[in-house]
Amino acid sequence: MKKYLRIFTMLAATGMLAGIFVYVFVINKSHPDYAAARADYALNAGEIFEAYRSDQAAASSLYDGKIVELTGQLTAIENADNEAYLCFVLDEGLFGPEGVRLHLLKSENNKVSTLQQGEWVRIKGYVTGYNETDVLLEHGSLVQ
Amino acid sequence: MRTHQFVLTMVLFLALGGEAFSQKFATKTGTIRFYSEAPAENIEAINKQVNSALDTQSGDFVFKVLMKGFQFEKALMQEHFNENYVESHKYPNASFVGKINNLSEVDFSKNGTYEATVSGKLTIKGVSKDVTEKGTFEVKDGTIGGKSIFYVKLADYGVEIPKTVMKNIAETIEITVDVSMISLNK
Repeated sequence: MKKYLRIFTMLAATGMLAGIFVYVFVINKSHPDYAAARADYALNAGEIFEAYRSDQAAASSLYDGKIVELTGQLTAIENADNEAYLCFVLDEGLFGPEGVRLHLLKSENNKVSTLQQGEWVRIKGYVTGYNETDVLLEHGSLVQ
Repeated sequence: MRTHQFVLTMVLFLALGGEAFSQKFATKTGTIRFYSEAPAENIEAINKQVNSALDTQSGDFVFKVLMKGFQFEKALMQEHFNENYVESHKYPNASFVGKINNLSEVDFSKNGTYEATVSGKLTIKGVSKDVTEKGTFEVKDGTIGGKSIFYVKLADYGVEIPKTVMKNIAETIEITVDVSMISLNK
């Protein structure tokens, strides 16, 4: 009887541990730390913009969903609803300026005041794609 | 896919295009939120890089959103959304191309909030459907805010929810569009 009880207890404990593991590391796993993550690619803003414009399918398969580090000349800093966006304008289109747009992480917003338009900066972000006007990045941060 | 994008670009061009139009308003920082209320859990996702444009003369109104730009509270939900449900690698964006039906009742030159109905084609996961939705336009000191809450039945757009998670995801989800557009005139 004791033997069965011990087996049952072990199985129950194992099941509970597996459940906790699945809950914490699978169901409730946290988003990556984008600011600390290693970039999959490093290039300049003009290169990634031209890559999407010249062959969107090829560029999408390469960069969509990846973290890239970009170097570029900051053209504008926009604010909307307490969110900050860094813009690298590389062309003019039907909807106005086109280029690369980075939505900054909230934790990076305090760095915006140190930036100047026209300054060369290195940024990092998660590429969500190209919407036929701009290459868009989320979870953006400034690379020191 | 390329043909679809080309047609969409042409529609956008015809609807809003060229320097001839003098009443174009647009934003690249619009917001689209979707909300699913189901017995097991409620799920919300927000995208804050929505492109939207409005021609106040013709009433043409468009928006376009990249699916990978939707942010979820839980990373796993975001993965399932992109990989299993909307297949964002195959269908990277969703869009709406339409027109204000009651344009004569909206005075874009005067501050105020105006009720409007907009009809057009909503495209999600490569499936386009004719829709007519209500919303408001708020004109305030040269900016135009557009807001609408509407409901989308996922099955209508080919989004299949496996039986195992039916209690976690609603069949019909609430979409909230919120854009604040400025004049493109220089």
